Amino acid sequence: MQGKIIVISSGKGGVGKTTATASIGAALAMGGKKVAVVDMDIGLRNLDVVMGLENRIVFNIVDVVHGRCKVQQAAIRDRRIENLYLIPASQNDNKDALTPKDMIRISKELRKKFDFILMDCPAGIEQGFENAVAAADEAVVVCTPEVSSIRDADRVIGLLYAKEIPPKLLVNRIVPAMVEKGDMLSHQDVVDVLSIDLVGLVEEDNQVVVSTNSGNPIVMQDNSKAGQAFKRIAMRLNGQPDLPIEVSGVSKSFWKKIRSKIGFGK
Amino acid sequence: MITEETPSVRIKGVGNGLWVTIAPETPFELIQIELARLFEPFKRKLAHTMRVVLDTGACQDNGDRHRQISNYLKDIFNLNEIVTPKEIESGKEKRLKMKDSRTILSQQHSDTLVIAGRVRSGQSVYTKKHLIIMGDINPGCELTAGGDILVFGSLLGTAAAGQPDNRGAIILALDFRPLQVKIGDIVAAGLPSTGQGVPEFAHIEKGTIVVDDYLAENPFKRIPWPVIR
Repeated sequence: MQGKIIVISSGKGGVGKTTATASIGAALAMGGKKVAVVDMDIGLRNLDVVMGLENRIVFNIVDVVHGRCKVQQAAIRDRRIENLYLIPASQNDNKDALTPKDMIRISKELRKKFDFILMDCPAGIEQGFENAVAAADEAVVVCTPEVSSIRDADRVIGLLYAKEIPPKLLVNRIVPAMVEKGDMLSHQDVVDVLSIDLVGLVEEDNQVVVSTNSGNPIVMQDNSKAGQAFKRIAMRLNGQPDLPIEVSGVSKSFWKKIRSKIGFGK
Repeated sequence: MITEETPSVRIKGVGNGLWVTIAPETPFELIQIELARLFEPFKRKLAHTMRVVLDTGACQDNGDRHRQISNYLKDIFNLNEIVTPKEIESGKEKRLKMKDSRTILSQQHSDTLVIAGRVRSGQSVYTKKHLIIMGDINPGCELTAGGDILVFGSLLGTAAAGQPDNRGAIILALDFRPLQVKIGDIVAAGLPSTGQGVPEFAHIEKGTIVVDDYLAENPFKRIPWPVIR
């Protein structure tokens, strides 16, 4: 069966691409698929740290491309989640170490070995981005509800459309209380500007920091809202695209609800 | 030279009036008889304001002859405006323009670029004349036109109309919230807008860019007939 390559991109840095890649990859593997998460941030690798596998790295993606090792030698199996593999980036090269042609070449091998290949795209729109999207079938664009992030995501969406890769939107780090007060843009504002299909909404969750530092996947914590959201996103990418999007709201008191229905403002 | 076929007096309808051509060297009495005969059917219906162009042909005593027949027409038929063909030619251009306004204006090729869709951050649109966009302009886009820019949607990016030096251009949008506008060589940023759903347009007034409600202050309402822009 041919594997599917999904690139997780954003344009802006620090919006949650690496967290999303690790979490969605873990959720897909927990659902029974054979998943490889590939760190395409050559020189600034951190997918391995987030997944807690940094002490087991021997080979990386640059070694695979230059023929120094095979794909299965570079792929690190996660001991907690069956079927989840990490192909790390190199720490001492930079983005010029790979070319889009190289990525298209090894993607053929990756597709034979895995059901899903998630590429963690680096920030920016230069060589790193070009390498990561070269062999992608689909894209998930991660965006936070902030004007700077929306501006950069818009640019990336334009570039993805130009490469005929259909993008889907993930709105990350939403704080429902701020949205309610009007201090933060709602996900609807983001969708209005970017105008692409929504694949999921993820709330701001302090558990993410804890998970990252301890190297434990957040999708394995049942009490984490972000973890549950990533699980639903994985389901939507894995053949359930019509799973309804859950919009988290601040729980209103009964009287507030009546007032807002009649139209007496917030 | 008068032949049997050439009538001494010919009347032709021209626009709002008549063009009367008098064959040269016809005796005045004959002209009078002919004019009376030709004008008789509509003697009462002739409008006083109707313009008559009296073409007496190239004659040496042109002026006298013209005046003679002119006076006769004025007396008998009560016509006020009788002019020579030369006077018509100088006013010819204005008449043609008004005539244009009454017929269908058609143009085989278009100077206007019409695009539909969403213009995304990082993209820019350039056209030498007018630009019409049916869709939204995201912040981070640049529109440049030699003529007007009309956005049938939200304008959130930057727009430069009337490049390089046409200060008469306008920038119109149904949801006018641009980051920056430029008309000709004048730039303005941080323009206030009244809010959603009100079509507004930017134009130059007394050297600065002002933004007005389009429906309330449509400057083109004052132009009585359509003019190609």
